[in-house]
Amino acid sequence: MKKRLSWSLLLTLILGVGLLAGCSDSGSASGDGDEADDDVLKVWSFTDELKEPIKTFEEKNGVKVELTIVPIADYPTKLKPVLESGVGAPDVFTGEVAFLKQWTDRDYWENLSQEPYNADELEGDYIDYVYDLGKDSEGNVKALSWQTTPGGIFYKRSIAKEVLGTDDPDQLGEMMSSWDGLFEVGEQLKAEGYRLFPDEGAIRWFAKGEDPQPWVNEDDELIMTDAKLNYFDHAKKLREKDYTAFAPEWSPSWNASMSGPIAYNGGWEEVDEDAAASDKTEVFSYALPTWGLHSVLKPNAEDTSGDWGVTTGPVPYFWGGTWIGIYSGSEKKDLAWDFVQMMTHDEEFLTDWAKETGDVLSYKPVNEKIKDEFSEPFLNGQNNYTFFLDQAKKIEPGIVTKYDQQIDTLLGAQVLEYVDGKKTKEEAIEEFYKQVKNAYPEIKTP
Amino acid sequence: MKKLNHKGYYFIAPFFAIFLVFNIYPVLLTFYYTFTRYEGYGKPEFIGLENYTRILTDGYFLEAFINTWKIWGLNFALQLGIALFLAALFSDLRYRIKGIGFFRAVFYLPNLITISSVAILFNIMLDWQHGSINMFLMKIGLISDPINWLNEPATAQISVALILTWMWFGYTFIVLMAGVSGIPGELYEAALIDGANRWQTFVHITLPLLKPIMLYVMITSLIGGLQLFDLPMLITDGLGAPEGSLNTMVLYLYNQAFRYNNYGYAATIAYALFLITVIFSVVTFRSMYRTNAKKEG
Repeated sequence: MKKRLSWSLLLTLILGVGLLAGCSDSGSASGDGDEADDDVLKVWSFTDELKEPIKTFEEKNGVKVELTIVPIADYPTKLKPVLESGVGAPDVFTGEVAFLKQWTDRDYWENLSQEPYNADELEGDYIDYVYDLGKDSEGNVKALSWQTTPGGIFYKRSIAKEVLGTDDPDQLGEMMSSWDGLFEVGEQLKAEGYRLFPDEGAIRWFAKGEDPQPWVNEDDELIMTDAKLNYFDHAKKLREKDYTAFAPEWSPSWNASMSGPIAYNGGWEEVDEDAAASDKTEVFSYALPTWGLHSVLKPNAEDTSGDWGVTTGPVPYFWGGTWIGIYSGSEKKDLAWDFVQMMTHDEEFLTDWAKETGDVLSYKPVNEKIKDEFSEPFLNGQNNYTFFLDQAKKIEPGIVTKYDQQIDTLLGAQVLEYVDGKKTKEEAIEEFYKQVKNAYPEIKTP
Repeated sequence: MKKLNHKGYYFIAPFFAIFLVFNIYPVLLTFYYTFTRYEGYGKPEFIGLENYTRILTDGYFLEAFINTWKIWGLNFALQLGIALFLAALFSDLRYRIKGIGFFRAVFYLPNLITISSVAILFNIMLDWQHGSINMFLMKIGLISDPINWLNEPATAQISVALILTWMWFGYTFIVLMAGVSGIPGELYEAALIDGANRWQTFVHITLPLLKPIMLYVMITSLIGGLQLFDLPMLITDGLGAPEGSLNTMVLYLYNQAFRYNNYGYAATIAYALFLITVIFSVVTFRSMYRTNAKKEG
């Protein structure tokens, strides 16, 4: 009996010790790793665009940087527990404008207004709205950005010449500087069998940029401006007058429409017979920001390179953008700051970066030196860099809230239901309020 | 009386430790969250029964509940119908269909494709402008204009139900076939000799004896169906478009938690879902059991 007991106890012990040993093994392994990785800087981001800068940084400083890329859809969800617990947290992480405001008021990012960073001194060096977005509600800088992402309207020059008599960006910008002007251009294009925009969603940025006010004010009230209410009517008009081509953003038809005519085979009751009868149509223009040129147009419209131009729409706007900051719990804040510094205000690096990638910088000292050198072959030699810098100046700072991404999505869905004729405008607006209230019970809707 | 020692507990301890940490603790913590407002940051704020009063008056949750039932109901009726038909066909002594193993594999294949691939595949096929389904239907003259499948509530729900049927009828068929092969062959032979036709054989022999298996299929499918999430999430915008018709209970839970950061309310939805599942499982089980008991009695 005794023998059997000790035997089983021994077995249990072996198993238990094995388990513990297993744990401590991996524990000590990672501990060792940490010691050995003393100068490994951990960076998290949602795109691979930091790969090249990281190489440069590693060479300059003789350190190792480990980049973790998490797809943007999972990025906030994956980052949150890591930042909350501090276990396995990065030293530096980036934030997209969609969730930037959710984080600036948390203690996740180090306060860069303090010593030794003194980011406040840099204030005048950045484009206003970009610098402003990186601040928390008390005005402390939490994150900086190397880029600015204002938008414009990219158009096909050959169509502009044929229909509107000119392909000059300034003249076209003048024509499309108001909603009426935009619809007038749409009418002329339609008469020649072209479509102004791929779909109605294209105007959402103009609707947002017109009369710029935050979605939610300090009293948690939803602000529904007339401009946003007009978005419903403008979108409906685009559909009813056949100024659009049923090619929603990111859809296969959208991509296809950039390189040539696309099929347009009716089936929608709202479309009048004549329009449905023509089976192919070509889209004239796209509302896209700085990065749209490199990551959307160029890959999709290789064959029409040189036939493009960029001009202004009725309202200046911006779309997207990446900010970067230091994790407040990081143990390598000096090194982390070196990296952030290089990314956001190292003149030599930023000059190379802008020239290589075509990214439009938010750092003014470098912009002043390089802006006039740009001439984009894809845009027939147009200097898109100065164009976008001019747009960036016009953007109203301080109107982005942590709710924007979701509320914009909810509004867009209701506008589409109104455009599709499934709801009246009143019903759609009512439903929009209900959904906002459901998503954020703390918000007071009109 | 032999004194039992407690050394056995050492052996089962690891399981219970893991069970405690990864099952019991989260379940209890979630229960605590149902009484709080919690954004996922910082400390949860205690708000009493507010989440419970909200869920009882929440039109979107009711809508999600109805949507889930509609999609699951249609899917299950079709799935069971097809599986029963095939089971009857393959078990029929008069046909003696060869290569049942081959068919079983073929029917089961859709179940092996990951749901995200299925969603992408059907998204392309159901595209109203360029989708192959519309093109096929137009070519054979069944419809004259393309149908925007995923843009109308009814067609969107039907599409999802049909995709689920396509994915799951093979599984149900295999389970039912296992049940059929458990029915003694003499019964069928006797029926054959007695001159019973196929329908009579099916209704009076196959169906009653398959009841326990069908109960199993129904309850597992119900539990899975009430948790319907992945396909509605992936096939449109993840918000339940068009017009909230693909907004299922779990999709609603997911959006409340991870899109809008209402963790407290999402926890309440999870508990409501649990309650609903239990109630319907018990009801299903009871009703099946009672009809059985009546017949025997």
